Amino acid sequence: MLEVSSLKKVYRSGQREVEALRDLSFTVDSGDLVCLVGPSGCGKTTLLRCIAGLLEPSSGTVRLDGREVSGPPPGLAMVFQEYGRSLFPWMSVRDNVELPLKQKKLPRERRSALVDEALSAVGLAGTETAYPWQLSGGMQQRVAIARAVAYEPSTLLMDEPFAAVDAQTRADLEDLVRALWQRLKVTVLFITHDIDEAVYLGQRVVMLSSSPTVVQDEITVDLPAARDQLHTRADPRFTEMRTHVYEQIQKAKRAAAI
Amino acid sequence: MKRVAYVIGLPVVLFAAWFVLSAGSESFYAPPLRQILQSFGETWTLDRLTADVVPSLLRLLAGFALAAVIGVAIGITIGLNRRVRATVEPVLEFFRAVPPPVLVPVIMLFAGIGDGMKVIVIVLGCVWPVLLNTVEGVRAVDSVQLDTAKAYGISGPARLGRVILPAASPQIAAGLRQALSIAIILMVISEMFAASNGLGFTIVQFQRSFAIPEMWSGIILLGLLGFALSLLFRLAEGRVLRWYHGLREAQRRS
Repeated sequence: MLEVSSLKKVYRSGQREVEALRDLSFTVDSGDLVCLVGPSGCGKTTLLRCIAGLLEPSSGTVRLDGREVSGPPPGLAMVFQEYGRSLFPWMSVRDNVELPLKQKKLPRERRSALVDEALSAVGLAGTETAYPWQLSGGMQQRVAIARAVAYEPSTLLMDEPFAAVDAQTRADLEDLVRALWQRLKVTVLFITHDIDEAVYLGQRVVMLSSSPTVVQDEITVDLPAARDQLHTRADPRFTEMRTHVYEQIQKAKRAAAI
Repeated sequence: MKRVAYVIGLPVVLFAAWFVLSAGSESFYAPPLRQILQSFGETWTLDRLTADVVPSLLRLLAGFALAAVIGVAIGITIGLNRRVRATVEPVLEFFRAVPPPVLVPVIMLFAGIGDGMKVIVIVLGCVWPVLLNTVEGVRAVDSVQLDTAKAYGISGPARLGRVILPAASPQIAAGLRQALSIAIILMVISEMFAASNGLGFTIVQFQRSFAIPEMWSGIILLGLLGFALSLLFRLAEGRVLRWYHGLREAQRRS
């Protein structure tokens, strides 16, 4: 369970202060898949870095499974938007996935079982010895997802993971995330700027305002759990919800412009 | 085959030109190349190679290796710590600007004229490019890579050895390459000042005893050595940084 309460982050540089997050509160229950959407520049990255323990909030707290986050929490794995910069190009695919497990001091057999399992779960069995840069963008992001999955996190944090891949790959990866989530029963917080993606993936969609950020609105996505690209996206209920989210985001943008 | 031709083409032409143009040379100081090559075979016998070239190479390698270790170690310390960097960087720029040959007489004063002095001279000259390039390389490590390491609990020695050092290694290699050519220069210079063996010493001996073709043959040998060393370095670099060249290639294609 992830609880974000009254989170506030102010950046200071000299005399200038920039308020990125004003007062953010939301929770993600254990095993939920929640999508965060917001207009661009809404402080998504700041929020994510606070949750991941990479950035200290100015006030407010983030609690993961009941414990307050003050550094990178052990039960949390992260998938970054920039897969090309997040994977280590000097390591093979296998080593990339295995490195965090070595750091966890897992025994060798366990590590190799986890790596094999994670790579086949993302459909990359057989690429173990390749370097990440020998793979296509979508496959690289699969490696990053495998690394997160092998880490056996209770919570998976995804920062616009598919913003840099082409539309078809993106659809495949969306289905992959839903499949993994259903299979592994992890809590997923998925950040995106793509409204369709948020509605398609999430059980709930949390909409953020423009910076300084607060929660603008929240909806529960009452689409059936079994979703597929063709039928779900054609569902009138899907269209309704994406319209709602779209309007809220537009409202947030207008509020920011005034 | 074509590549080899490109590599050796120009040297062969230059050598041939030298050979032809110097063939009728009457000058005592610039003898015909034929004569130089003849004396090359006579001068650089196995005895001479073990007596003079091997000690030179050992000093060079010792100095280069020490400079590499010291430069990388200090470079990482400075590169990872903003405060240390701000304090130390101006001083580093100053030291780097001092031409190392100037230091030879000074170092002789307290390190004597033995092997130690020569190794110290080489280290003092070579350490700067390694150090400054390491600082740059460590500073330029991608922030997403660092965030990734942090988010996955990769800290301490693993962070240093598996993330920061490899990320900085292309830049470190550039520093090492510069250092290698400096090392060769300083090896010769330090041996010219005060020595009882070594390549630099031998060349100066030949010059002082007016053994001009022998002197030229020593210079050719030095050139060949430098070429061989940089070739070896390139080979080693190509192996260690295979990922980097592959990555660059992949980025160019996309």
